[in-house]
Amino acid sequence: MAKDKSAGEGLSRRAFLKTCGAAGLGAMAISFGVPTLLKAQPKPIKIGSIQPATGPLAVIGQGQRRGNQMAVDFINAKGGIKSLGGAKLELVLGDSETKSEVGRSEADRLIKDGAVVLVGAFESGTGMAVATLAEQRGLPFLVDVATLDDITQKGYKYTFRIFPTSTAFAQRGTDFIKEIMAAKKLSPKRAVVTYVGDAFGKTQGGFFIKHFKAANTGIEIVEEISYPLGIPDLSGEVAKIKAAKPDLLFPICRPGDSMILTRELYKQRVELMGIISPGSPGWYEPSVVRDLDKLALYVMDNVPWVNPSSPVYQEANKLFEEKYKAYLDTNTGWAYTGVLVIADALERAASIDPDKIVAAFKATNFKDHPMVGDAVQFAPNGDNKNATTAMVQVLPEADPLKRVKVVLPKKFAQAEFTFPAPQLWDRG
Amino acid sequence: MNLALALQLLIQGILLGGIYGLTAVGLSLIFGVMGVINFAHGQMMVMGMYISYWILVLLGLDPYLSLPLAAGAIFILGYVIQSTVVNRILDFPEAMQVLPLVAMGLILENLALLFWGPDHRSPSTALSLAAIPLGSATVDVSRLIAFALAIAFTVALFLFLKKSAIGTRIRAAADNRLGAQLVGIKVDRINNIAFGLGAATTGAAGALLLPLMPVSPHLGHDFTTTAFVVVILGGMGNLLGALVGGLILGVTESLATLVLPATLKQMISFGLLVVIMLIRPQGLFGGRR
Repeated sequence: MAKDKSAGEGLSRRAFLKTCGAAGLGAMAISFGVPTLLKAQPKPIKIGSIQPATGPLAVIGQGQRRGNQMAVDFINAKGGIKSLGGAKLELVLGDSETKSEVGRSEADRLIKDGAVVLVGAFESGTGMAVATLAEQRGLPFLVDVATLDDITQKGYKYTFRIFPTSTAFAQRGTDFIKEIMAAKKLSPKRAVVTYVGDAFGKTQGGFFIKHFKAANTGIEIVEEISYPLGIPDLSGEVAKIKAAKPDLLFPICRPGDSMILTRELYKQRVELMGIISPGSPGWYEPSVVRDLDKLALYVMDNVPWVNPSSPVYQEANKLFEEKYKAYLDTNTGWAYTGVLVIADALERAASIDPDKIVAAFKATNFKDHPMVGDAVQFAPNGDNKNATTAMVQVLPEADPLKRVKVVLPKKFAQAEFTFPAPQLWDRG
Repeated sequence: MNLALALQLLIQGILLGGIYGLTAVGLSLIFGVMGVINFAHGQMMVMGMYISYWILVLLGLDPYLSLPLAAGAIFILGYVIQSTVVNRILDFPEAMQVLPLVAMGLILENLALLFWGPDHRSPSTALSLAAIPLGSATVDVSRLIAFALAIAFTVALFLFLKKSAIGTRIRAAADNRLGAQLVGIKVDRINNIAFGLGAATTGAAGALLLPLMPVSPHLGHDFTTTAFVVVILGGMGNLLGALVGGLILGVTESLATLVLPATLKQMISFGLLVVIMLIRPQGLFGGRR
């Protein structure tokens, strides 16, 4: 029977955890001299993590898993969920393969495996599919990263999101762009928007364009270019950008295409004042900053970044750097925060009953997180009321792991921004 | 219509087409000889990319210099796959031949994930940013080299099959397997070599593509489908057809950017595929088989 099989798989993992737990208890018994060795360890609480661990977003998906897992380890090291007798958290992994239908069936599998809360899904299409499933199964789902507004606009009771929506991105991005131009007394006239053609890119691009046009910035969007996710070549698109003669480029990318785009801009000598992303991956990841090197410099990105002055961030980032040779960024940072928010809700719910967890989510007021913005609090539709973004810029620094800096808002800024940027081919 | 843009797109389309052609030539050769479709083709190309990436990072050797090594390594990979898997499934129904090769592709993709992780790797090579200005347009040097070598390799492979002793045996085995066996050709070994050669061309394509695009484990799948379209366009098993098919596809895709968003690029290539299947199922250059 299928069920026996999955139970069999679970056993070995559980046995492993028991051994670990027993070892921990043994150590405790020795240090306190109390014979607690025979006291039953509460069953671990399973959190189902659905991330795009393979497929075109694999580089991000793997990071998301690490963020989730590191927070689980952090909570467990602090003694688990105290209101549930010190129950440990266990992350059970699902891989959406960057396809929403696979993400849904993986989430279903995790629920059958005994997950009591779901976290994920990075890719907005998958986020939508999992939110619908969570509603059907009556199980809480915390969106750690995904921007599509729709996810929290269907009236779902079980879905909560800590990440900003595309609308929030568009508003903040437009405001930052205005602020930068005003500060440097520049008045660019023409801009091109490019966006990747998946659920995220279309919404993020569409909302930004709509909002930017309505905002009366004096900058005209002269061309909108979209292309499929995972495209291996952007020479035609860049030729189109060049023909539109823009002053500014507003790209919404994924990690692979940002590299192709930048090299192609160099090769075709497209003159720009600067590249400002309205909010997308592809510009701040360690691998991008390392491989593009000088070409990645001065790119700005409007993202819900880590808060450099937060002690929670400093502690988590140190661990992340040691373990993975990478820094916490907007995605891994929120993946880490997501599990912390779940643990906080479980602690207050003192139960694994889905409806009690949902009630606890609704009362969330979670301050000790590593990101920019105030305490996580959920609006009635499940969105984080205080989700916000910062403008980061890649600035010259010998160590590639230290190049991404918050430049706006001033409250969180680590450095002054440089704008306009030197042309890609004028960087020595 | 913007003429400068159209010219730029035309140049890029031709250059891209050469690369499409090179990835498809190997697929066409393998189909022509064995009658199987190598669904692991794109993944083999990605392996070629990773090998030249490795050589570049560890030894500092440019992809153009490490190309023979990448091609050689993928030749061995192809030889081994043919001798261990494909030779056993040659007489199976077509639907059953597909699965082991799809599986092989998945294995290669996940091996790449295991060895190199999911990162997009795009190291700077000597020529990765070089471009020649040509009036208002620019010609990308690494694309130009890839294009020239793609044509050279296809012609070399063509001559090898026509003139050399092994080439003649490959053609004999492709023509009539039983007949070739009867005259004493070791068909299994010839098949191994043919598959290895087909694989080697895609490995070489991988090395040529490394300066052009970031390598990541998932990249292969799209190249398999593109190569498949090109091969059908040019005629299954026809090497020069594959090259011309690549050029047609590259130019069509590139020029289509003038009027259509790139998100519809795949619609162009698959639309072309459907049209060809309807009016000339044997492909532009395919004779009756």
